[in-house]
Amino acid sequence: MEFLLEIMTEELPSAHVMAALAQLGERFSQEMKTSGLEASGLRVLGTCRRLVLVADLGAGQPDQEEIVTGPPRSAGIASDGSFTQAAFGFARSHGVSVEELQVVKTARGEYLGLKRLKKGKSTPEILMNKLPALVASLSFPKTMRWADKSFRFSRPIKGLLCLFDQQVVRISLEGLMSSNKTSGHFIHSPLKLAVSNYQEYYQALKDNFVLVDPAERKQRILDQFYEKLTGLKAHVYPDDRLLERLLWNVEYPLVVMGSFPDSYLSLPLEVLSTAMREGQQLFSVVKGKKQLPYFLGIADAPSDPKNYIVSGNERVLKARLEDARFFWENDLKISLSERVNQLSEVVFQEKLGSYGDKVTRLQELVSYISERLGWRNLKKDLIEAARLSKADLLTEMVREFPELQGKIGGIYAERQGWPETVSRAIYEHYQPESWEDPVPDSTGGAILSMADRIDTMVGISGTGYNISGSSDPYGLRRSALGVVRIILDKKFHLSLRRLIDKSVSLFKKKLTLTEEQVKAACLGLIEGRVRFIFEKKGYSYDLINAALAPGLDYLDFTEARIKALSSLKASRNFEQFILMVKRVKNILKDVPKAKLDPTRLTEKEEKELYSALNIVKKNAEEMMARGDFAGAQKIIFRLQSPLNNFFDRVLVMAEDKKIRNNRLALLAQVQSLIDKLADYSQIVFSSENS
Amino acid sequence: MSMQRLFLRLYDFWAGQGCYLASSYDLEVGAGTMTPDTFFRVLGQKPWRVAYVQPSRRPTDGRYGENPHRVQKHFQFQVIMKPSPLNIQRIYLDSLVSLGINLSEHDLRFDEDDWESPTIGAWGVGWQVMLDGLEITQFTYFQQAGGLELFPVSVEITYGLERLEMFLEQKDNIYDLKWSDDVNYHALRFREEREFSIYNFEQADVNMLQASFYAAEKEARRLIGQQLLLPAYDYCLKCSHLFNLLDARKAISVTERVKMIGQIRTLVNQIARLYADQEGEN
Repeated sequence: MEFLLEIMTEELPSAHVMAALAQLGERFSQEMKTSGLEASGLRVLGTCRRLVLVADLGAGQPDQEEIVTGPPRSAGIASDGSFTQAAFGFARSHGVSVEELQVVKTARGEYLGLKRLKKGKSTPEILMNKLPALVASLSFPKTMRWADKSFRFSRPIKGLLCLFDQQVVRISLEGLMSSNKTSGHFIHSPLKLAVSNYQEYYQALKDNFVLVDPAERKQRILDQFYEKLTGLKAHVYPDDRLLERLLWNVEYPLVVMGSFPDSYLSLPLEVLSTAMREGQQLFSVVKGKKQLPYFLGIADAPSDPKNYIVSGNERVLKARLEDARFFWENDLKISLSERVNQLSEVVFQEKLGSYGDKVTRLQELVSYISERLGWRNLKKDLIEAARLSKADLLTEMVREFPELQGKIGGIYAERQGWPETVSRAIYEHYQPESWEDPVPDSTGGAILSMADRIDTMVGISGTGYNISGSSDPYGLRRSALGVVRIILDKKFHLSLRRLIDKSVSLFKKKLTLTEEQVKAACLGLIEGRVRFIFEKKGYSYDLINAALAPGLDYLDFTEARIKALSSLKASRNFEQFILMVKRVKNILKDVPKAKLDPTRLTEKEEKELYSALNIVKKNAEEMMARGDFAGAQKIIFRLQSPLNNFFDRVLVMAEDKKIRNNRLALLAQVQSLIDKLADYSQIVFSSENS
Repeated sequence: MSMQRLFLRLYDFWAGQGCYLASSYDLEVGAGTMTPDTFFRVLGQKPWRVAYVQPSRRPTDGRYGENPHRVQKHFQFQVIMKPSPLNIQRIYLDSLVSLGINLSEHDLRFDEDDWESPTIGAWGVGWQVMLDGLEITQFTYFQQAGGLELFPVSVEITYGLERLEMFLEQKDNIYDLKWSDDVNYHALRFREEREFSIYNFEQADVNMLQASFYAAEKEARRLIGQQLLLPAYDYCLKCSHLFNLLDARKAISVTERVKMIGQIRTLVNQIARLYADQEGEN
């Protein structure tokens, strides 16, 4: 039987709608489960003005047998077997005769008890009980109070519609009573609509300009985008975040298209699209890479009969573009070089000084990185780029549109005649800003971005700041993720440890933690992000553990190790080999380090193992130094048969202590070579589990 | 429509909702929120309904009279209702209808926009109201002011009058707006905008402003000691405007900015606490 709940509210922020719907679905099915009610076909939908849940529920809880315990058996039955006063009293209080009592065993001993059938609660009864608390339990990033109510929610609640099997389930919340009525669009059809099931509800809303299903709204928007643009052979500049936001903000989407004067096309594309998106929430229209003087907007209305919506948006956009041009022209009057001096007045972080200090450090850091990576020809330009990288924080454009930082700096640098390496590096140095955002295209941008992030991570961690849970105000996780993605995408061969050391040294005495503590904190952050990326790439956790065990330093090698492991895991000999490695590890457990004396090797098999090890080690280490971990691994497999023979024919735990220690030392050498590749003991085979 | 007819219609509408019609406050403020008719009255338990036009000065928004949309002084229509009526959104929509706007021909949206003023330790939750892409109103449920949790909750509705009038007259240039049937915005305001832009950005004497800021701050502190809370608050408002002028002259470093805002907030919070305590006793 169908259950329908609608919580009507004043306009919720779109992020809140999404969060609330997810919670509503999850908590509702949890509540139904704990109440023993069957629930199926659960759906959550809605708009900024209504949170909606539909599900199929059973009629009620099944009846259940329950046992009521009375007095202990010893108190209820006398030694002659007759019932005592206590037993009679218990029976009377439950309206039964003593004959109906029986002895029940409990953890505390034997008791007199009564079995009876407990009637299951009906579904409406359960809903009435559970729903108010469930609605109140929804949590939001920020809540408010209104009027003289102490209740907290994202925005004021306006109404409740609650139906089970076509009947109203009476619930009350903060003085609101549930009913069978919803309302149409708050402007275009603000009527009260009585309904008795979801189908009627959906249709009544649709007839009154509310599409309650987000998928339907999205389709309507995309269809209309297509319709508007197909004649122009142009397309919408993709902006999923804006689309997602607007999707929840409107109940009845209408795509409108307008234009702006060509003269504003002289502004950079980045400025145009930001001016359209921010504040006015418009999409820009492009043909290839060219911006066209059009925009698309999503209104919440059935139609625009008098063209007011289009012309209104055009007027407002023109004003915004006029302002953007004012900023653009003003900003260009002062060169980035001149602005750099003022950076000493802009605080980067209280304990770490100004952005002026930061760009001084960044110059050193990019110089170090380009040396290490063998990009000496970029060094001079990158030092310039680092020096100018934060100057745009002082421009009016960034003050108005903070999200243009970096990009606008790069554009101004290009205008002011800096070489392309410099302007590109500045332009790209905040990339990647999110998981979807690509890493910088240019090598210079990648190096500057990495330097900036390492500097932030080292500086902030170095002040003793730890991120916890969802609180990461300095974006340290994002910084670490950026560093890892850049190194992996660009295949940079760079020691993170030394890079961190270098960065620490540039802070001079400003850090409160020791160099080792800072390194541990930063590598911890980086390890977390490496795991995250490897999981996204589809590696299983055991391979990730194995590949990370040799330590994090050169991330390109870490990735080569996991690739090698992953490709070998399927091969036939691998499992045998791993079992062998585990055996070596077990034997060496708690064994102190000893020095190997080759002259004391007596048996044929141990001598063979020793000479095989020497050859394998030489080759494997050469390969590892080149980053060829797949090759190194194959070579190391060659130890399998000498190891097998060794274990078959040689007694490691010989009676003679010197011989025993020598054999253990030989195995320790095998182990230390293998450890450079991976901690194979982490790898799990399905056969081991069964 | 004209600016003055817009004033009259809004006054008339909100008087009909039981609001007392106040006159504009006679000190420079950045927003109607800062005036005593809002700031003090949202504190404490007593119901309150008020509406008034408030000229608001934002020195950095000056454009020498050359920008068709931005001015360093604009007019707000400020409404406070405490406690917030449960149908306040509908009342607000009715106020737009009373201006002759046929809402069914437009796109009206309540777009998430929480408001915060660190200077007076206040924040609220609400929206900017967008009419065909134009922000015409800030709609806020006050949650805190002067660092105090507010209960019952007041709703603040702030109409941007020039914007609304540009919408009503379908004009692209603020200076083309009609003030009355025969006087336009340019005739009344252009010279003021030009001269104040020059003053705000170029001529304001930084040393004098700084000295005045500290003198006003000191006076506010002294008055708090004397329990003269309304006069003390006036001096906080003076501080706030002097700060804005210094900002327009780009004479404030980031660290100073934080410090100066903090100084004003500390005083305002003290005033709010003392005021609320006294109100509680009455």
